[in-house]
Amino acid sequence: MMKNLTQEELELLQTEEIENKDEIAKLLAPPAIKIKNVTVSFKSKKGLYTALKDISLDIKKGEIISLIGHSGCGKSTLMNTISGMVSPTSGEVIANEQLVKGPGPDRGIVFQNYSLLPWLTVFQNIYEAVDSSFKNISKEDKKAIVEKNLKMVNLWEHQHKLPGHLSGGMKQRVAIARAFAINPKILLLDEPFGALDALTKSAMHIELLKLWNLDNRDKTIVMVTHDIEEAIFLSDRVVVLNNGPASTIKEIVDIPLERPRNKKEIVHHPKYKEIHDRLLSLLIDKFSISDY
Amino acid sequence: MKNTFVKNTIGQIISFAASMLLLCLIWQGITLLTKSEIPGPIATWQVAKEMFAEPFYDYGPNDKGIGLQLTASLWRVFLGFGIGSLIAIPLGILMGSSKFMMRLFDPIVQILRPVSPLAWFPLGLLAFKAAAGATIFIITITSLWPTLINTSFGVAHIPQDHKNVSKAFGFSKLKYLTKILIPYTLPHMITGLRLSIGIAWMVIVAGEMLSGGSGIGFFVWDSWNGLSLEKILVAILIIGSVGLLLDKFFNTLKMAFAWENK
Repeated sequence: MMKNLTQEELELLQTEEIENKDEIAKLLAPPAIKIKNVTVSFKSKKGLYTALKDISLDIKKGEIISLIGHSGCGKSTLMNTISGMVSPTSGEVIANEQLVKGPGPDRGIVFQNYSLLPWLTVFQNIYEAVDSSFKNISKEDKKAIVEKNLKMVNLWEHQHKLPGHLSGGMKQRVAIARAFAINPKILLLDEPFGALDALTKSAMHIELLKLWNLDNRDKTIVMVTHDIEEAIFLSDRVVVLNNGPASTIKEIVDIPLERPRNKKEIVHHPKYKEIHDRLLSLLIDKFSISDY
Repeated sequence: MKNTFVKNTIGQIISFAASMLLLCLIWQGITLLTKSEIPGPIATWQVAKEMFAEPFYDYGPNDKGIGLQLTASLWRVFLGFGIGSLIAIPLGILMGSSKFMMRLFDPIVQILRPVSPLAWFPLGLLAFKAAAGATIFIITITSLWPTLINTSFGVAHIPQDHKNVSKAFGFSKLKYLTKILIPYTLPHMITGLRLSIGIAWMVIVAGEMLSGGSGIGFFVWDSWNGLSLEKILVAILIIGSVGLLLDKFFNTLKMAFAWENK
């Protein structure tokens, strides 16, 4: 299945910047995620509540996308339609060329509040996910997968601990390791760093990108956030949603900053300030941002 | 660390001794007030020493040692409580897992739960044609409720986060049961079992008074007929102490399985 390339993409293909066959393949590949006219409504006490209305979005393979918006704008709901935790009322989501009908091991999820099982050790938490996702491999292989992923987030020496004994950052690393362990093509992160302090958060951003780089930037990542700096640092594109109810996409902002990005240097980039201001004005048009 | 532990233990022993002393003082006071119609602690102690000297003698159906009576009662309680739990836990899981099942069974539970064990006894006699079966029946049917209600409460309140993990990573039904449902519900379940065993132990005395034959309840009734108030008082103390031990046992069990404290 090949898609028709846009003029822009054709130009990109012709430029010298692309020497790598992989990158050409990525451009030619069908979108990793295709959201087509998705509307999500919930039954509530006051009647039907429409959270999302007629949203369409294509996400390329290997792209990092941030969904940003105010609380209650339905950004988590939109992500959950990709994960399959929420089924759209109308429209459809296609992930990895298959219609999403429910959660599956091709899409790994990192939950907002880590969602580790408190009675299982760090090792067991990941092992149970691996055990459920890979049916046809031996116990030793499953254990090896857990070991590899725990070492990747530097938590191997904490494998016997219960989640209750870990700090917030460590728990989040376990959750990320768990999502990577099932080797999904698509990684879905629901406000993954929201509960962390600023320093831990920065470290986690770097760590996430490292994991993504290790994997040849093959994984498509969709992240829900309300942190503008985080969105710019990590993403290729930032999708800004309107306020609910019946949210739509307000604007998609491209982040043409080169990778690898440096946390310290990137903020001095003239483009950075431009993007930051654009996002800020998109998000804060309703409110005053001065204190007078 | 160790020092505080020792101090705590010594403190607990001292306070327990003080508590027992207070009980004896109140008891002695009542004996004095009733002009020794109710035997005092010392007279009771004399009788208790005789009873404990040979707890397992067996001189025919109406004359058995206190140890034999106690084991007979404990056996019945565990049988009744065991059958009750085997009904209560699966049914509780079923009720907790589905709103429909909860709506279907909850009214039945609410109607049957407050019924006195004595009211069930004739039905038990009718069903089992024997007093022994009837006693176990009333223990089963009166002690299963707390386990049932606590289990269903636990299952119904499994946090959405845990369910999401199961959904997102595609846990099988069995994995959900063993890795999420049971670990989360276990502390609730054990609390229910603890309340249930308490009820079972209370009901056994009433049941054996009605059914006769053997057991600590029968012993109380038999001693009343033999006008030995001292024996009744000893039996009351034994019943109370065994009840305390059963409760402590389940409390320890709960602590062992409570993942929150780890």
